[in-house]
Amino acid sequence: MNAGLAAVAVNMLGTVEHPELGDSPYRVDSDGAPYVPVGDGGLVLGLRLGDSVFAFDGDHAAPGACLTHRDEAARHALVLYSCIGNEAEVRTGAVAGARGAVLGKRGENGRVIVGFGAGDLARMRPGDEVSVRARGQGLRPAWLPAGVMVLNMDPDLLAALEVGSGTAQLAGISVRVRTMLPSPLAGNGLGRPAVGWDLDLQLGAGDDEDLRLGDLVAITDIDARYNMGYRRGWVTIGVAVHGSSPLPGHGPGITPILTGPRARLEARADGENHVGLTDALLKLQ
Amino acid sequence: MKAATNAGRLVSQVLTGEVWPALADRHGYRVGPDGQPFVLPGMGGVTLGVHCGDPATGYAADHLEPGASIRHADPAANMAVQFLTCVGNQVTVASGPASGHAGHVIGQHAYVLADFAEDVAATLSTGDAVTINAVGQGLRFADHPSIVLKNCAPGLLERMPGGTTQDGRLEMHVAARIPAEAIGAGVGMISEYANTDLMGAYQSLGADLSLGLESLRVGDIVAMADQDHRFGRGRRPGYLTIGVISTGQCMLFGHGPGPSTLMSGPAEAFRLVDDADANLASWYHDVDHRRESTGQ
Repeated sequence: MNAGLAAVAVNMLGTVEHPELGDSPYRVDSDGAPYVPVGDGGLVLGLRLGDSVFAFDGDHAAPGACLTHRDEAARHALVLYSCIGNEAEVRTGAVAGARGAVLGKRGENGRVIVGFGAGDLARMRPGDEVSVRARGQGLRPAWLPAGVMVLNMDPDLLAALEVGSGTAQLAGISVRVRTMLPSPLAGNGLGRPAVGWDLDLQLGAGDDEDLRLGDLVAITDIDARYNMGYRRGWVTIGVAVHGSSPLPGHGPGITPILTGPRARLEARADGENHVGLTDALLKLQ
Repeated sequence: MKAATNAGRLVSQVLTGEVWPALADRHGYRVGPDGQPFVLPGMGGVTLGVHCGDPATGYAADHLEPGASIRHADPAANMAVQFLTCVGNQVTVASGPASGHAGHVIGQHAYVLADFAEDVAATLSTGDAVTINAVGQGLRFADHPSIVLKNCAPGLLERMPGGTTQDGRLEMHVAARIPAEAIGAGVGMISEYANTDLMGAYQSLGADLSLGLESLRVGDIVAMADQDHRFGRGRRPGYLTIGVISTGQCMLFGHGPGPSTLMSGPAEAFRLVDDADANLASWYHDVDHRRESTGQ
């Protein structure tokens, strides 16, 4: 979308997902051992933004409630249009009226991950309806450098991250991230559209990466404008939205928010000083 | 020395399927690496003019599936067809004008892909029934315990050059070596289903997309660096996965010519020999033009 076009917001409805398993409880981990997946979608308690992605023995566990829609096409729309930072409101159930915020999205059939205050989340249950005020796709701030694309980001949250401002196009921007990773660590999500999928990082607890839920992470030589794939000289920056996975080719996942040529999109690794997406930034406390 | 296996203990199972149509949606277009919209054939139905030994790329196609693309109409039976069928298995046409002609499986891609001689393929169409003699899952090496075989018919292993070396490694002839950067869509999936797309082989597109893989051929045996496909498909430095290129040209970004997995293990368990003739066409050409009732 050209800079200067007005964004529109869309109220969408999602339902808190119930976990689903097949006839067999087992999946097989990267060493060939069967395991029972816990925390893969649905409503997960006990982890928050800021926790290590390796702190729990879950499978793709996300810090909040995953929303889906029973109609496949409506589910895709819910996921595609929702953006990180979008406001959410519980419409039914014990905490009807409670406010939350989108903190990420996941791929395959698509899930929107919504964070809530810990007290509200603990009283919610699968089947609760949640309204999301979706806005952000098509966002192209005037300051965004040529060739750089922003995606999956609420305009207000993008402003709060302070990666750029003003009415004049910048030659380049610099974004603080926890860590920079090389493209061969990109896993499940390659070849899929970044507006609807996350990109799993093939990292495990033994890889000695201090990576936390909500962190901004850069991955080099990955272009995420359309589908995600290899392009030399590019970088994609995403938010870590779910924890690690025992499955081969999977791991903690990032929802991409910025992608562009490294000449105009610089990622700077903060290391241990990094602060990414937090409950405070999303007003979840 | 040929590598010893448990082939004598394997059973064959007779499966059926049909040539499955190409699928699209009413919006038509998909999106290429630079945002270019495209409508291109290649997946599903019977794709003509491309066979084992032919270039994998250089066509106006997307996810080019050489020959017949096969599924079973029942969802659970289809998973049996997709999981149990192995590269090298014989496929016999069971209805239609090509009835009785045999081809062989070259890989999986959410379809079972079967290559037939061009004159046979020309008479095949969507809905034609096929019979598959499925054998190969469960195949194990007797003397290479760290290497796990997948989707590999015993007959294919028998035809391939190489074998157990004097120092106890498995010699494999490969037509190409694939860098870890090229591994694209399909990572994270199970290794008995579909294949791994290789990025960096977009003929005629930008140099910043290229990983030097534009000369791959359909049927090439390739070695993928740092890939462990023993229990699914993921990255593990120091491991190696051998596959066979079963699909070709892609326009969809993050996708590309795709190897179906044949075996996986620690790199030091292999001895690779670069061999331009390491292609299914070198070993299966003779079955293309005759009817067969036996073999894999």
